[in-house]
Amino acid sequence: MFQHRAGLKSFFRQWQLQSMVIPGIIWMIIFCYIPMLWLIIGFMDFSIAKPMLQSPFVGLKHFQDFASDERFWRSIRNTLGMSTIKLVLGFPIPIFFALMLNEIRSIRFKRTVQTISYLPHFIAWTIFGGIMLNWLGEGGVINQLMMAVGFQDREILFNSDPKYFWWITYFSDILKETGWSAIIYIAAIAGIDPALYEAAELDGANRWQRMWHITIQCIRPTIAILFILAVAGMLGSNFEQIFILKNNMNMRMAESLDLYIYNMGLVSGRYSFSTAVLFARSIVALGLLFLANYASKKLTGDSIF
Amino acid sequence: MKRNHMKKSIIMALALIMMLSLAACTGSKNNDNKPTSTPSDSTPAPSGETALNPEIPGWQLDTSPVELSWFVGASWYPHAWGETLASKYVTEKTGVKIKIEVPSGEANEQITLAMTSGKLPDLITMGSWENAVKKLWEGDFVFPLNELADQYDPYFFKVAGDGTLKWYRQDNGNTYGVPNDSFSPNLMHETGMTAANQTFLVRKDLYEEMGKPDMSTPEGFLNTLQLLKDQYSQYKGQPMSPFFAQGNVPYGMTEYLQNLLAVPHEKDGNVYDRITDPDYVAWLKTFRTAYERGLINVDFLVDSDTQVDEKTNNARYFMMVREWNGMAAVNPLLAASANPDSYYIAVDGPQNSKGEKAKLFPGNMDGWMVTMISKTTKNPERAIRFLTYLASEEGQRDLFLGKEGETWDMADGKPQLKPEMVDLVSNDIEKLEKEYGIMDTYWMVRNPVIINQWRPEKTPVLKQMEDFANAQADIDSGIYKGLDPQGDSDAAVAWARISQNWEEVMPELITAKDEAAFDKVFEGFLSRRDNYGFDKVMEFRQAELSARKAKMAE
Repeated sequence: MFQHRAGLKSFFRQWQLQSMVIPGIIWMIIFCYIPMLWLIIGFMDFSIAKPMLQSPFVGLKHFQDFASDERFWRSIRNTLGMSTIKLVLGFPIPIFFALMLNEIRSIRFKRTVQTISYLPHFIAWTIFGGIMLNWLGEGGVINQLMMAVGFQDREILFNSDPKYFWWITYFSDILKETGWSAIIYIAAIAGIDPALYEAAELDGANRWQRMWHITIQCIRPTIAILFILAVAGMLGSNFEQIFILKNNMNMRMAESLDLYIYNMGLVSGRYSFSTAVLFARSIVALGLLFLANYASKKLTGDSIF
Repeated sequence: MKRNHMKKSIIMALALIMMLSLAACTGSKNNDNKPTSTPSDSTPAPSGETALNPEIPGWQLDTSPVELSWFVGASWYPHAWGETLASKYVTEKTGVKIKIEVPSGEANEQITLAMTSGKLPDLITMGSWENAVKKLWEGDFVFPLNELADQYDPYFFKVAGDGTLKWYRQDNGNTYGVPNDSFSPNLMHETGMTAANQTFLVRKDLYEEMGKPDMSTPEGFLNTLQLLKDQYSQYKGQPMSPFFAQGNVPYGMTEYLQNLLAVPHEKDGNVYDRITDPDYVAWLKTFRTAYERGLINVDFLVDSDTQVDEKTNNARYFMMVREWNGMAAVNPLLAASANPDSYYIAVDGPQNSKGEKAKLFPGNMDGWMVTMISKTTKNPERAIRFLTYLASEEGQRDLFLGKEGETWDMADGKPQLKPEMVDLVSNDIEKLEKEYGIMDTYWMVRNPVIINQWRPEKTPVLKQMEDFANAQADIDSGIYKGLDPQGDSDAAVAWARISQNWEEVMPELITAKDEAAFDKVFEGFLSRRDNYGFDKVMEFRQAELSARKAKMAE
């Protein structure tokens, strides 16, 4: 109670600063909360030509429809497959990268590496994906490299074979986003009190021990929070990336839930149907968030709420 | 203290500005969201209302500058307005300045998005087969042209011709779009000219070196590919791509290939299910065999547009199921290159087991694309007048020939392109289109009946392909184009699911490891198709065909 009042007090004391968050809140209300009202069309036979409320209610019809569509379940499998690879093999990479960077002594070199590594983040997927497609093509650099090294004796059309697709998304994602994702860890590491390191050094801790017992332990809350968010986002996928890299031949492994929603909604014009899928996805994602949060709380003591 | 105070007020000002700008954004968005319901709502009645004379083109009433945005539903459309001689001339004359917009991806998806957000360009040109066209009409997103014409420019009825107006008239009596490249069967029979452009192309030098092999039977086709693999697998240090099909699965490998095989559209008065035709299936199996033997690759199923362009420009394809007008720019360039025989010629491609000649799509009343005026335009009166002008003989001439004295002259009472322009047509089409912008640069409302009389003779490397396509056009088959259900009816949903599934199944068929696997995949597709409701699609096609026949008979 006391704490609460103190919080309120400091809130009013900082009201100028606090008010800066208002535009963000307004943005969120307009673009995230108001659109939720439209979820109602998932329960209707909505037609773009008619005003919304004139469409008939059909209950859970669309939910039954997608649950009986094998393509929906395929998209679930693909989404989970790609997300799992990204989570298990991809999540530690930026942490590792940040730790490596942190050990570099030369500030100038460190800055250069950091800048170069996050530059690809600013290239749009449409362009980056186009570059990837060229690399993966018959005459592309990857085929030439593999052939020069002797791993394969003829060209492989990598993006024509569904079995490569998940790995293509994984590697292209790492290539593009590692530097950017590392920034938050680098910031967390920069906030660690140097006295801790000095003390450890005096006590005879070597570099590895300092990294493990100080750096990792200090950024643990950051890692936990990002992990919780990553798990909650498992049913999402990088739509732009998949949209650029997919084609008729790898569609079997490429159609993620997002792409499925897009194909059903904007391509086929089944707005109600795709809204129903979206709705169901959001509910499951919410469940995942609670689950990950609970697990993290139990295991590490760090959690979002 | 004072400094602190100033800091606070700056922060407050900043926050206020941010909020206001946000509010302003959302405010204006809301306004745009409301489509203007009727033309009279948004604009004052035309000043000279009494002056509306059906004999006088409406654009002459008002030539004050105005800018209209024009969506051209083709991601590859390369031209802009305002740089070229023809467009400058038209803007000068009518006061209308055009801002051309092209989709970054699929036109259909882009316009559907624009519909949901309520922000449509003033003029919209889109493929007449696109799903979104129907939605634009049904959802009342575009003006009925007849109503606009009644109100602002009755001259429209004079130029639009009863035929096309009637063809696109909807059940509610309104017509929403003007087509380009629209051909009626009667016209085609009369003139012998068609809009056929489907061809089977091969690279001339290789084809002739091989001794003009026959590719019309599966055996001949496979043998030719084998020969190519054995002797010509590399070109200029890069691997040859033996085969290309335009528009990937749904077009090149399905409808187009079926036309080459002369698969009928109708049998005994019933719409025919062309995908199960034995000849077609036999050819798909031939492609499978070719893939199994390593004679073709699947690059044509996965390449992006840029990759296809690159291979085409370097003549790295051997055979192509491709519309010849897609080669209009490349073929002359190849013929003028260091290897002047490396251009493409049309030959007999795959044929059915009876050896019948191809039955190609000849163009039809639907035309190629349709142009519409969106209800969100602020200048409906200028838009309809401009559209009328473009559709009229004068507008067609201004865009196709350009400005008299500069790009064309009168000779014997007939407009004639200047010789240097004709020269550009065969030698530097790019300069012609970028600098002068005449002929086929602005094809959005191109009417072949009017412009073909002015068209100069094509260069031989193009004419060969055109003649070949014309000779194989099946003039009366135009009526069968696009019978499939569109929109969001049950039949349309079924068809969307089926056709999307087919796009995935086709590559599986071609890459199947043996014939038994092929059969299994194909049967799997057929049963899935039935589950999705194929009977509804067939019913729809049948009803649509009957309706069209009735319209034609009128």
